Amino acid sequence: MWIYEKRLQYPVKITKTCPKTAQLIISQYGGPDGELSASMRYLAQRYTMPVKSVGGLLTDIGTEELAHMEIICAMVNQLTKDLTVEEAKAAGFDAYYIDHTAGLWPQAASALPFSAVEFQSKGDAITDLTEDLAAEQKARTVYDNLLRMITDPEVREPLKFLRAREIVHFQRFGEALEQTKEKMDAKNYYYINPEFDKKTV
Amino acid sequence: MIADKEHLAMASVPVQTWGALYDKDEVLAAGTIFKELDMPFFAADHIPAKKGITDPLTEIQKISFILDDLRLYLDTHPDDPDALTLLKRLVKERKGLTVDFAKEHYPLTPDCMADIFEEKPDEMCFCWQEGPAPWEGGNV
Repeated sequence: MWIYEKRLQYPVKITKTCPKTAQLIISQYGGPDGELSASMRYLAQRYTMPVKSVGGLLTDIGTEELAHMEIICAMVNQLTKDLTVEEAKAAGFDAYYIDHTAGLWPQAASALPFSAVEFQSKGDAITDLTEDLAAEQKARTVYDNLLRMITDPEVREPLKFLRAREIVHFQRFGEALEQTKEKMDAKNYYYINPEFDKKTV
Repeated sequence: MIADKEHLAMASVPVQTWGALYDKDEVLAAGTIFKELDMPFFAADHIPAKKGITDPLTEIQKISFILDDLRLYLDTHPDDPDALTLLKRLVKERKGLTVDFAKEHYPLTPDCMADIFEEKPDEMCFCWQEGPAPWEGGNV
């Protein structure tokens, strides 16, 4: 069960319309390394995690990623809410405008639609946690790239915050991997799959 | 030489130990409460940190964020006494702030209305009627 709290995790107040910026940061909504993908990945993986506290961590981080998705959507919304057709045309936002007007729709910067194909839930704790470590790094790289390109401080502040979270999550997934390894045979971590070969753990 | 706990063909991340924390007014700009985990990017070095914003919603955002970061730490350090002490203090403090906010402005969750209904049984607000939508960019 989730309960909505009527606030953003990090405040977003963008006063300048910029469809070009919106088109770039929308990747962190529906793109391959976006917040929606992150949230769905962790919330899917948790059910079969053999270590209870790791299932808890996946729930907490998966929930935080939903809040990050909301931050990104709020940014896209504020960047486009006063959009004119001329601005959309000039910024190359016209194709998005035709399909969605100024509505929010999960897609990558390249216009690829959101897809579950972008993440995995493999049913193997070592595999999934290693994927999660990589996922946090991929998202950090996207934020690095956005911070290199975007100049508006009102957009950069929340991006900087979101980038910092990727590093903290990486650390926690690393610790979760250590917790999982502690329950396994250090002589050969690959002898069994701890999520499937339960009786042999 | 392979360090203790490290193994061939297996990823390994050192477990964090409790250390220096940022002040409440610095945590949102840093994106973490832990000084050791604040690893900035050169292209984002010159973003001026907004300081001195103390409106009631921002105060709730600060304390809630400290709790968010603290909870993830506790997920992997469930027995850490420093983290638990801080959690117990801040959970109570946050509850007070959200109740005050509901009384003075609007409820952030339906639960926030419990105290208000007790004081004012005729109150009609249950959650969404008052206050801006979170994505509109306005803090009270």
